[in-house]
Amino acid sequence: MLRDGLVQAEQLVELREVVPRGIEGSRIGAGTTLAELEVDPEIPETLREACARAASPQLRSMGTIGGNLLQATRCWYWRLQFPCFLHGGDRCHARQGEHREHAIFGNERCASAHPSDPAAALLALGASLRTTHRELGIADLYRLPDDADRSLTTLGPSELILELEVPPPEASIYLKAMDRRAWAFPLVGVAAARFADGVRVALSGVAPIPWLLAGPDELDRATPLPGTAYKVEIARALVRRALAAIDENR
Amino acid sequence: MARLIRTEKEVEGRYTEQWIVVEEDVLDQWPPGARRVVGRPAARVDGLERARGEAVYTADIQLPGMLHTAVLRSPHARARVTHLDLSAALEAPGVRASLGPEDSSVLVRDPGYPGAPVAALAADTFAQARAALALVAVEWEVLEPLLDPDEAIARGSVVSEASTEERGSVERGLAEANAIVEAEYRTQTVLHNALEPHQAVCAWEGDTLNVYISTQYIWGVRDEVAEHFDLAGDKVRVVCHYMGGGFGAKNNAGAYTFLAGELARRTGRPVRCALTRREENLATGNRNATIQRLRAGARADGTLTLLTGEFVNAVGFSGWSPSTGGPMQMLYACDNLQTVEHGAKLNTAPNAAFRAPGFVEGTFGLECLVDELAAKLDIDPLEFRRRNYAHSDLVDGRPFSSKNLLECYRRAEPHWERRHEVRARSKGPWRYGVGLASQIWYGGGGPPSYAWVRLGGDGRVTVVTAMQDIGTGSRTAMAQIAAEELGLPLDRIEVSLGDSARGPFASISAGSSTIPSMGPAVRAAAADAGRQLIEIAAQRHHLEERVLSLRDGNIVSADGGSWPIETITGLLEDGQILGKGARGPNPTGMRTLTFGVQIAEVGVDVETGEIRVERIAAIHDVGRVINPLGASSQVEGGIIQGIGHTLSEERLLDPRTGAVLTQTLDAYKLPTIADVPEIVTELVDEPDEHLTNLGSKGLGEPPIIPTSAAIANAIRDATGADIRSLPITRDEMLRALREARERSHQREQVEAPTS
Repeated sequence: MLRDGLVQAEQLVELREVVPRGIEGSRIGAGTTLAELEVDPEIPETLREACARAASPQLRSMGTIGGNLLQATRCWYWRLQFPCFLHGGDRCHARQGEHREHAIFGNERCASAHPSDPAAALLALGASLRTTHRELGIADLYRLPDDADRSLTTLGPSELILELEVPPPEASIYLKAMDRRAWAFPLVGVAAARFADGVRVALSGVAPIPWLLAGPDELDRATPLPGTAYKVEIARALVRRALAAIDENR
Repeated sequence: MARLIRTEKEVEGRYTEQWIVVEEDVLDQWPPGARRVVGRPAARVDGLERARGEAVYTADIQLPGMLHTAVLRSPHARARVTHLDLSAALEAPGVRASLGPEDSSVLVRDPGYPGAPVAALAADTFAQARAALALVAVEWEVLEPLLDPDEAIARGSVVSEASTEERGSVERGLAEANAIVEAEYRTQTVLHNALEPHQAVCAWEGDTLNVYISTQYIWGVRDEVAEHFDLAGDKVRVVCHYMGGGFGAKNNAGAYTFLAGELARRTGRPVRCALTRREENLATGNRNATIQRLRAGARADGTLTLLTGEFVNAVGFSGWSPSTGGPMQMLYACDNLQTVEHGAKLNTAPNAAFRAPGFVEGTFGLECLVDELAAKLDIDPLEFRRRNYAHSDLVDGRPFSSKNLLECYRRAEPHWERRHEVRARSKGPWRYGVGLASQIWYGGGGPPSYAWVRLGGDGRVTVVTAMQDIGTGSRTAMAQIAAEELGLPLDRIEVSLGDSARGPFASISAGSSTIPSMGPAVRAAAADAGRQLIEIAAQRHHLEERVLSLRDGNIVSADGGSWPIETITGLLEDGQILGKGARGPNPTGMRTLTFGVQIAEVGVDVETGEIRVERIAAIHDVGRVINPLGASSQVEGGIIQGIGHTLSEERLLDPRTGAVLTQTLDAYKLPTIADVPEIVTELVDEPDEHLTNLGSKGLGEPPIIPTSAAIANAIRDATGADIRSLPITRDEMLRALREARERSHQREQVEAPTS
């Protein structure tokens, strides 16, 4: 973001002293790196796999789970500072432009896609967060932008994510479709987790925020753009495969 | 003896007639097969320096007081600068000089593509120069860009006249055909994205301009810079010792060199102008997109009766129209042919040569078309290609200096046979298949090119020539050739290259020409040095020269005598033996080309559109192979770059403004090591008996040429889907699968009533 000129900063502040790092039972410090999460056997498979399939080994060794949840979109119009809806403008430039990487849900005002793999896994797991100000479910971290407020998260000024609480599922999985075999953001990521009271499925790369799937039928109600209809097809296949993989009767 | 000849010179498929002074090539070729050094795998002679970070690239050049350049580039595809004021920027901390359109011919007031350079600043640090760019007061009148290539042709916006090639009669070809396939193929714009960005450091030393630059052509840069600054050629010294890739985009000096030179002149300081990755993706050339409307007809027995193609190259704001029709004109024996090639002038960045320009794109179209035709006639694709084999050049009837494509096909058989077993791997949503495609390209090199060989009193040898090693390993190959000729181990040879002030004129490293142009000159120079060594030895030992030869670091006599060469060279003390060599002429009346075939094995997940290239076998005929290890690494690099072109790379433009959307490497997707399949390299390694004292052709470009068509044909074999557009991303793959399903559904409906 600094290099893209999207954020200007005179000084960078090291957060390592204030943000917890490490894994204790079901609690994960927000400063824990993806590389640490992907190899820990205590971490549910969907989250481990989401971390392992994200970015490159170098980036995973540096990137923290807290930072990953707050990644900005890769939408090229937003990155190149087109005066788009997300930047406070009046329309989404991707809708009429190049948008093969863009959204199929929640895309009426802004068609950007959320790039985080672990966010979908944590959404499927029903994780909760502790910040410097409050405790909240991960679903409440994110919001779709509207005319009054273009932000994609509910974090307040100087609010930091400190810790995650991740309930252990009976089974879970993460499947990811991308443009190459490694080091690419998800075109579609599917996280599925089975608990005693049912199965939760969440998607990455399909909406401006990580997307919790209300049920398999919700894909029939997707609102793809001409260039993103293929994502619905991929999501159908991956959701079916994910559900089959964690089926308790398997 | 020097001889003045009028000859055709070819670079990247472009021919020019010119006068050239050549020297006779008097050496006989070595017998075919591996020799003591040549033809045996050799690790890079500069491998350790590179691995240790000791090799000095242009990016490593640090000169005292050196300034750094930032370039103001047009954010618009087409615009006019209505106001430009650099004064505030000049006042910014660290800024030493500025240039605007009135100061340099490479800066423009009416940019015709996004990224066109408009102004430049030099400052003590790059950060200062870049920060000062924000202080440039500039106003633009934004104009409507022309972005659609077909529209450009219709409106007469072209970079050159259409080029037409015809033989026989289209009507006759149509009449004789039992089956015809007609299809439109499209290829995308791809970017070189060499590891090392384009850059130059310019430093004046008295009236001489020293240019340190990442370049494929030291001498070309020298001439361009001399002309730009109105200097004598020898007043420009060009240096490039190590290079992080070019792929065709560094054949010329480029605006960055002229800006650095002018800023250096004005400030009296050395000046660097290095492009950022974003600038690389905006404005340093590209493989242009193409539209190919093709038709092929054949008799029931598979004999081609017709090939026609209308090719539109989306060239950009300037550049040239590559021969996308070349493979169709040259690959198959077909009596009736018509190709028309257009070069559309657009408000997009100019193209540049990119590893077999035109032929990569044209081979994708042609080799997919031919495969579709073979399928229609139910003829095995490998057999179809054999039946249409061209035994002499089709464009002007000349014989080939050598052609072993049939041998490539023969060696392809075991790989092609695997298709039954590969298809049988299909399971669940995964379908597996095998496809192949042929390759034709230039790669014979040519004169003039010169080398010297210096044999010192200590018996060490230095090859001196002002060529460049652009990362391909030519330094190692030249050392092997000299070692072979002088009967020395490889570690006794140094190669001094990369400096126009330190050696004779040498060839461009483009058009697969470095080995075929430079190798024979180096061998001739080594032979000249060796001859002198033997003359001296004969006198020292009172023997006849004809009984002496060079072997394993010794001068060996037919009667059993053997003396280490240092015992002779040592007589010279600090004196030296100097050998001189030149590249001889190309064979007259013959066509020198390279050939090959690749066989790809792929898997396709028909539900998610995922494509996995599992294995590619590459069989190429490039004459004698100097270094099999270097050659296989060229093949691997070409195929990996080809996989990127086929599956994931694409420069995307905003369709309304023409802005480049893919400026960074997360958006512009090069293949990763995880995308690389098993690659099997086989080289025919048969010297071209007519070509130079080596019989070697170039291998830089051939391996990338057939890869995309081989993969696309394997996908059809696996799934029945026709691939007609690159890159084959998930969306494109799923679209092609849907089309194939609809087609077979329609066929069933048509056939249903009769069954």
